Amino acid sequence: MAADPIEQFKIEKLVDFGTVNLPVFGKSDLAFTNSHLAMTIAFVMVVGFLTLATSKMQVVPGRWQIVGETLFGMIDNLAESIIGHDGKKYFPFVFTVFMFILAMNVLGLMLTFTVTSQLAITATFGLITIGLVLIIGFVKHGLGFFKLFVPSGVPIVLLPVIVLIEFVSFLLRPVTLALRLFGNMLGGHVALKVFAGFVVALGAMSAAGGVSLLGLPGAALSLSMVVALTALECLVAFLQAFVFAVLTCIYLNDVVNLGHVH
Amino acid sequence: MADQTTATTQAPEETGGLPQFQFQHWAGQIGYLLILFVALYVLISKVFAPRIRRVFDERARVISEAITSARAVQTEAAAQADAAKRALADARASAQKLASDSKAKANAEAAEREAVLESDLAEKQAQAEARIRNARDAAMGHLSDVATDAAQAMVEKLTGAKTSREAIAAAVAKA
Repeated sequence: MAADPIEQFKIEKLVDFGTVNLPVFGKSDLAFTNSHLAMTIAFVMVVGFLTLATSKMQVVPGRWQIVGETLFGMIDNLAESIIGHDGKKYFPFVFTVFMFILAMNVLGLMLTFTVTSQLAITATFGLITIGLVLIIGFVKHGLGFFKLFVPSGVPIVLLPVIVLIEFVSFLLRPVTLALRLFGNMLGGHVALKVFAGFVVALGAMSAAGGVSLLGLPGAALSLSMVVALTALECLVAFLQAFVFAVLTCIYLNDVVNLGHVH
Repeated sequence: MADQTTATTQAPEETGGLPQFQFQHWAGQIGYLLILFVALYVLISKVFAPRIRRVFDERARVISEAITSARAVQTEAAAQADAAKRALADARASAQKLASDSKAKANAEAAEREAVLESDLAEKQAQAEARIRNARDAAMGHLSDVATDAAQAMVEKLTGAKTSREAIAAAVAKA
């Protein structure tokens, strides 16, 4: 087996719909790929889980309901503690982002393809979030939205510099959102593949016998690394979804509660 | 080992670099993700979140109701305990009053009986004393008679003279 750690990220066309020329993206392949398949599975997973968790709602929850309520309550508390009482209004968005990313991350640990290790996907999530922030900002505050870049209580001399820094950091928000998730998933899965590749390579090498038997302890070590990394990746899968939700809340809070500290 | 790793990394890669930067796949993925995202958002905001929110509210309501009724029961119990305590204190006070009353009554009766007894005894004592005085007086009377007799006899024996009894009696009484 080829053990190229990059091969797992390759987009494979399952059903091809041909090629079109799109304004921004240029020549684009339209196809149902393994990425689309994984996204669909993640979507079905989330919907299935939430259906299962909310089908028989009871005051004293059952097993599925308690899991659903735990995740729901966690994001609900997060939104409410960061955004305030307006948090309820934006909760569905944050919860959607969280559940979708979590499902994709967890799925990536079980399938051969990880959707959230595709920059196209994480960039889309980042742009959706920052797009919502912009829309809410302009709808709620109009041109007052630009006060976001002018922190109060700053000396007039420093103002141009501060405004520039604030503006650049705002522009970088979707970039960091996208790259953080992308980098974490990419790095984790590459490391997993590399160590798994070592297991196979060293094991095959030691089959020659003699001195190459020394490869066996190396293979065993690599295997234990794979196990440890898989555990770590489970944590990262959850953590990155959570971090994304937290940052979404923080960015939303910036525009929802623009101008008044709470 | 070095041969092995170079061999494994020489997998065919038609465009080179990360597959994530093959931009011909971006539009399809982004469009599909947007569709799924919107669908999921609608489902969550219209179906799932209200369901869970409803059960959260209902749970909060049930709990607050239970707490309110528990508070009511508690205050009622406290009132009842107060009443019981008051009744107990009342009973104790009346019992104490009864006890002190009967004690006073008994004391009064005893004092009365004692007084009666005492006066009775005093009377008896007075009678006895009077008897004793009479007896002593009588004895004293006899004693002067005896002395007079003795004195008369002694005078007769010594002087041989017959003396009048009255003179002797006067002398004895003077002595």
